[in-house]
Amino acid sequence: MTETLNQSRLRNYLGGTFLTLVLLTALAFSLLVLVPKFNAYALPGNQRGYEPAQPIAFSHRLHAGELQVQCLYCHSGAERSRHAGIPATNVCMNCHRFVSAPLGAIRAEDDAAKKEGREPRRVVSPEIRKIYDALAINDQMKPDATKASKPIQWVKVHNLPDFVYFDHRPHVNAGVACQKCHGPVETMERVRQVEDLSMGWCVNCHRAVDRTGLDGKGNFTAASAPAAQASTPVSHRVYASIDCSTCHY
Amino acid sequence: MSSGNKHYWKALEEKEGGPEFLKDAARDLVERGPRHFGRRDFLKAAGFTVGTAFATGCRRAPLQKAIPLLSQPEEIVPGRCLFYASTCGGCSAGCGLLAKVRDGRPIKLEGNPEHPFSNGGLCATGQASILGLYDSQRLQHPLKQGNKISRDAADREILARLASIRSQHGAVRFLTGTITSPSVLAALEEVLKSLPDARHVVYDPVSNSALLDAYAQTHGTRLLPRFHFESAGVIASFDADFLGTWISPVEYTAAYRAGRNLEERRVSYHVQFEPRMSVTGTKADQRFAVAPGDFGVLLTHLTGLVAKRAGISLNWAEPDASPVPMSFLEGLAEQLWHARGRSLVLCGSQAIEEQVLANYLNHLLGSYGTTIDLERPSLQMQGNDQDLESLVRELHAGKVHALFVYGVNPAFDLPGGDELRGVLSRVPLLVSFSQRMDETAFLAGYVLPEPHFLESWNDTEAVNGVASISQPTVHPFGETRSLLETLSAWNGKSKSGYELLRESWRARVFPRQKKESNFDAFWDRSVHDGYTEVEAAVFKTKPFDLRAVQPILRSSAALDKFALVLYPTVSMLDGRNAYNPWLHELPDPISKVTWDNYASLSPAAAKKLGVNNGDVIHLDASRTGLRTLELPAYIQPGQHDRVVGVALGYGSKLSARFAKVGPQWIDALLSVGDNGLVGQNVASYLELKNGVLHYSSTQVTLSRTGKQRELACTQIHNTLTVPEHLRPGGSGARPIVQETTLAAFLKDPQSGVEDDEEKEDLWPTDHPYTGPRWGMVIDLNACTGCSSCVIACQIENNIPVVGRDEVRRNREMHWMRIDRYYSESDHGQVDVAHQPLMCQQCENAPCETVCPVLATVHSEDGLNQQVYNRCVGTRYCANNCPYKGRRFNWFNYSHDDQLQNLVLNPDVTVRSRGVMEKCTFCVQRIQEAKIEAKRRGEKVVDGAAQTACQQSCPAHAIYFGDLNDPSSRVSKMMQNPRRYRVLEELNVRPAVGYLTVVRNRDQESKEEQHG
Amino acid sequence: MADAVLTLRPPLIEGDKSIAQVTHDVCAPMEARPSRLWWLALAASSSLLLLGVLAIGYQVAVGVGTWGLNRTIGWAFDITNFVFWIGIGHAGTLISAILFLFRQRWRTSVNRAAEAMTIFAVMCAGIFPIIHTGRPWFAYWLFPYPNTRGSLWVNFRSPLVWDCFAISTYFTVSAMFWFIGLLPDLATIRDRATAKWRRTLAGILSLGWNGSYRAWQRYEVVYLMLAGLGTPLVISVHTIVSWDFATSVLPGWHATLFPPYFVAGAIFSGMAMVLTLMIIARKLMRLEDYITLRHIDRMAKLVILTSCIVGLSYATEFFIALYSGSSYEQFVFLNRALGPMFWAYWTMVSCNLLIPQLLWFRRIRAYVPAVFVISIFVNIGMWFERFVIIVTSLSRDFLPSNWFHYAPTRIEIATLLGSFGLFFTLFLLFCRFVPVIAVAEVKGVLKYGRPHAEAIHE
Repeated sequence: MTETLNQSRLRNYLGGTFLTLVLLTALAFSLLVLVPKFNAYALPGNQRGYEPAQPIAFSHRLHAGELQVQCLYCHSGAERSRHAGIPATNVCMNCHRFVSAPLGAIRAEDDAAKKEGREPRRVVSPEIRKIYDALAINDQMKPDATKASKPIQWVKVHNLPDFVYFDHRPHVNAGVACQKCHGPVETMERVRQVEDLSMGWCVNCHRAVDRTGLDGKGNFTAASAPAAQASTPVSHRVYASIDCSTCHY
Repeated sequence: MSSGNKHYWKALEEKEGGPEFLKDAARDLVERGPRHFGRRDFLKAAGFTVGTAFATGCRRAPLQKAIPLLSQPEEIVPGRCLFYASTCGGCSAGCGLLAKVRDGRPIKLEGNPEHPFSNGGLCATGQASILGLYDSQRLQHPLKQGNKISRDAADREILARLASIRSQHGAVRFLTGTITSPSVLAALEEVLKSLPDARHVVYDPVSNSALLDAYAQTHGTRLLPRFHFESAGVIASFDADFLGTWISPVEYTAAYRAGRNLEERRVSYHVQFEPRMSVTGTKADQRFAVAPGDFGVLLTHLTGLVAKRAGISLNWAEPDASPVPMSFLEGLAEQLWHARGRSLVLCGSQAIEEQVLANYLNHLLGSYGTTIDLERPSLQMQGNDQDLESLVRELHAGKVHALFVYGVNPAFDLPGGDELRGVLSRVPLLVSFSQRMDETAFLAGYVLPEPHFLESWNDTEAVNGVASISQPTVHPFGETRSLLETLSAWNGKSKSGYELLRESWRARVFPRQKKESNFDAFWDRSVHDGYTEVEAAVFKTKPFDLRAVQPILRSSAALDKFALVLYPTVSMLDGRNAYNPWLHELPDPISKVTWDNYASLSPAAAKKLGVNNGDVIHLDASRTGLRTLELPAYIQPGQHDRVVGVALGYGSKLSARFAKVGPQWIDALLSVGDNGLVGQNVASYLELKNGVLHYSSTQVTLSRTGKQRELACTQIHNTLTVPEHLRPGGSGARPIVQETTLAAFLKDPQSGVEDDEEKEDLWPTDHPYTGPRWGMVIDLNACTGCSSCVIACQIENNIPVVGRDEVRRNREMHWMRIDRYYSESDHGQVDVAHQPLMCQQCENAPCETVCPVLATVHSEDGLNQQVYNRCVGTRYCANNCPYKGRRFNWFNYSHDDQLQNLVLNPDVTVRSRGVMEKCTFCVQRIQEAKIEAKRRGEKVVDGAAQTACQQSCPAHAIYFGDLNDPSSRVSKMMQNPRRYRVLEELNVRPAVGYLTVVRNRDQESKEEQHG
Repeated sequence: MADAVLTLRPPLIEGDKSIAQVTHDVCAPMEARPSRLWWLALAASSSLLLLGVLAIGYQVAVGVGTWGLNRTIGWAFDITNFVFWIGIGHAGTLISAILFLFRQRWRTSVNRAAEAMTIFAVMCAGIFPIIHTGRPWFAYWLFPYPNTRGSLWVNFRSPLVWDCFAISTYFTVSAMFWFIGLLPDLATIRDRATAKWRRTLAGILSLGWNGSYRAWQRYEVVYLMLAGLGTPLVISVHTIVSWDFATSVLPGWHATLFPPYFVAGAIFSGMAMVLTLMIIARKLMRLEDYITLRHIDRMAKLVILTSCIVGLSYATEFFIALYSGSSYEQFVFLNRALGPMFWAYWTMVSCNLLIPQLLWFRRIRAYVPAVFVISIFVNIGMWFERFVIIVTSLSRDFLPSNWFHYAPTRIEIATLLGSFGLFFTLFLLFCRFVPVIAVAEVKGVLKYGRPHAEAIHE
């Protein structure tokens, strides 16, 4: 129809398009932002995808992924307590007393030192220095009077409501893989909440386990024969209750 | 403009076809005629953009931090509880306890099951004392004239003053309550030695001085013997409330219960003579109300009767007529004599000559060495009123130059009132070690606050030969210092309490035992166990001195006036707990009144005066110099008709803080009285004369004031029978408390049990319990109503304090209550039954069917679950609960005191407003036990899961466990022939069973007419 | 047929109205300025309403604790008011639906107002189940809806859930029934309207009614069907409400008698309320010719009937308690009559049983003020009936240690008054903006019992 347009119309048309173009850019912008949100649509309270910045750029990919450090090495509480716990700073120091920087950086320093024919200086990466600061020690692992020791304030990623009493012990001891709830942490630079941790999500897993059992252990639901229960030792069975008071009290 | 928008949205619908959209847009715009991009268009566009940005932004819950320890000690795992064995500092009884510490803060105190005399029990006071630790009004720093002062400065100044006093040979007095700590006593001794005229005066606001004095007369040594109730066959108690507040109630309750074992058919016979209804009186097999003035005559009569049997002729003159039928005394004498060596006579009176008669009875009955131990006596309650009296005389004469007050509150708990306070304030150097700004601390020049017993190292030897340690479980909150450290600092060796205690133990306790040769091993074991048994210090007693024994021939009971009996309650004791809201809200075991003290009258007396519950009456003391007192009346069955009872320990400054406790709304009333305090202080009605502090020597006349003060009582209907005119034909007492007599029980153990067979169900039981099934059995015969379980439950389950007004409105939140019912047995004697009642965890629970949102459902191990976060609060479940075991959050009960919130149990949700709550058999403990068992790959063993009420019960009246495990104690108890269930006929199938009350009486149990 | 009738029956509508007159009489008050009386009434009722709003606001903000309830007595004013209002509603449905099915032609001049009353009453009732919950903002959990809790549904065994369904259904059906009935009259308003807003509004609401045969025919069918739907609701709703109590274990609640007992009571109270309102309305709107003494007389007779049924239920309750042999059951009823709350019980008996007996006398039935007063008494009595059932039974149940008393707080009383405020405000507005009398239907019975019925048609 454009050919039917005469001059004045054309002017109006152009006058109009300006607004149109502005609105278009706005649209484009908002689509760019909105569309990913649409498929990640969540009900209020659903924190899936939460990925807060941490005080130290700690990489689970590096530690759990490349270096194959076991989850329970740092989060040892998971076996013995309801909380998996964040490792105390002295646990970090088990390694970082020696490992103070990426290998590359240290090598470079060594070469530089060789060239200049001096003792290589101890290289400390800025992130690891934060650990030393927390413990108020200097790069030479000596207490530093100028610093005050203060614990590291990590940001909690997986949060449940206060009326939910989740307990790591039964899950870890039953052999639930950490990744089942926390996702492929060993691939994450910064930890992200993968599951929505809704009640339905918990309950469905519990139901499934009661049907199928878990990692080799047979399932002994409340309904199964007492005789059968008696015959198998407790350690060889798994049973995930879906009673309310399993989590709410 | 709007049309512009319209087209825009139209475009959005077709966002695929970009070009077409352009064309259409073009056409529309064209047709709309000339346009130029104006301000509003810009705003529109901008607004839109910004709007989207916002829309995509906000979706985050508040940030939560996780802060790990810098270096984590081996034993500490965040989220796991540690138990430290320690010693209770609630009173001088010194029971053993376990402090439950979670993430560095103690959250609960429980009885230490291995402790030699408290046997795992802990009284309400002891358990509630943990709240004192988190009391935001506890003193945190030394004070001088009410202003903060550094500890060293205070030390310097005080020592300087002491030096000058020493130089001019001034009198220094240490006024303390009973100190059972050998280390402290040693340190104190050292301080006293360093001063020319220094003395240590000990008194107990609830005094037993006369008892000790009597032993000084009859056995030549002033001591408090240790009573062995467990081996007593016949117990005759003259106004000794040994199950309630007398000397060491937990210890005595455990022993008493051990001596009444129906399963082994070994049941002691207990006779109680007392002016008012005491906790002990409620358990007595025979109980007589006796006026305070009549005890002497009564004892004289009994002595005569027993002596006759012993073949001794006391040529005493004929005493006044006995207040108790002679026929009964004959019988009692016969039984006492028959049970020679297994009988026990107790006297709680503060008249030395009466105590002497009691001693003589025990002597005649051969109780010494069997039921009464003089070699290994108790070291509790060492108060000496003679010293006190002389000290008061000195004070009045202004002879005292320095007075150090520790563990007592003379300005509050001694007679003399303002006069005494004036005298105290005139003491040149008055130092108080009080934890709080109590009446004495207000007068004191210096206050050196004592830390809470959970903050400091200390030791106790409450019973000769049992030394126990109290260890700190949390870092002290303020700049407080224990008496041990203070005294040592003044002795010039300022060390930490830990070092001091170790030294003292190495020197004093270690040598008294042979088991361990290495001190460190000994120390570690003692700290681990919390106590250690060592050789008793030798107490030499002379043979019984007959010359001390004198008959009391004349009764001193006034016939025209009322005898004012002042007594301690299990919650307030002498007033040391006045700061504690839990204990103020704890219903009195017998009257069920909270947040007040009151004048209790017998029904007859009340009728005569024409007063009802809550009528304020006028108490006019005959003695001069006493202001008259106005108190609300409370009608107390079983009380003597010429006696008016008033509780001590109320009206303390410390209770001023409770004015606005509980929810505040338009109709809310204050929790305090007109004096701005909870209750009224009646200490001025005590009488300190002839070297004894008298509690019932005052005579009063009563009169109505016409005023009203409704008492906050948790139970307004007192009997199991319904009122006469509403009683349907042939229905007597409701079979809720079922009882029988020993005679009947021995014939048929099941006697008294009304209905115990399972009812037929219409439907098959479609929910079999394949795992455990939790159940409870409560032995009503063992329960003394001491209310320790109520407090235990409150602490364990974060139950809020609601304040006087809410209790008055029948809205107290205690999940566990103890119902108290009166009944009248044949010879006009009032019987009392205590019935602990909580959610009965019914199998066919009426609450479950009616909840619209499934907030209360049955668990597969037999629990009646309550899901707070699902509850919308229709209260339908509570209406439909036959036991009314449910509690509703009428308001948001305040949790504003951040410090006090530290006592909350992190394993239990703090319920919000509008939510129903109730007992869940401490499901959090059950879960813990289950999970730990799973972790170790075992079954849950019997006793692994203990409810809070069960754990702390001094009488071990509560059994809890798995009913599906035939070997568990609870299922054995369920098979007990005495077992019945409350409201069995409704067939709700409660998981809680009760064992009948069995009173040690001869006559067959007849239909007891209650009411 | 009609002739046969007119020889037997006096006319339903008095004063020889012509069709036009009818229309005019009914519509005139709406088009004229409201009378001072109306303004006064509105002022009074709306201020009550405001009071109620404030009370509810405070209670929702602070907590249910602002009511006089306690751990023994979990329900009192809240559920009493709820049951009371639901009961009021029933007469409306009875008159409009059941009497319609029974072809009771006299109903025509009262059914409109009665239906309106039903709707308003149900609105009042609906408030209480919501505000009586501890957390009203979660009251929607009582309805089953898909959720992320895996999934967690409502408890279909709970009478409260049944209530939700019963009441929402009841409200929807009554509202539709009322609206459908309104269509022709709305059209009338539209056509008579002079003001623009009134015309457009009535125009929209009357759904383009054009009085064609087809319109009438469809209308008749729908109306009949809705009447059929409404009829069972009269029985079901209060039956289900009564189950709130009947299914419990509480002595005094746990009775199989409750459903019929409650339904009778509901109709009883409803009839009384209809009488109250009709007598007010015919005075306010000068409709004496349409709401005649015969109407009042017939409703009065219904009141006697239901009163006697209710009385019988009271007696039966006592008999069953005696017969059951359960001492708890027996005690509860003795306690009602002679216990601390005897006054409530005897108020109930005298208002519901004794006073209505006066209506046996034709003179009293014919004397409007007397009927008015009696109807008020019945309303009071029926409120107390619910109060007695709920509170006295709760206050003294199985364990004497739980026994306690109950006294309402200011907030509760204000809430009750507020519900009346809402009810009367709505009713007054209704009188003002909607034909109080079903014009179309009245025209249908105009010639009923007229000697020269044909005259009207010329």
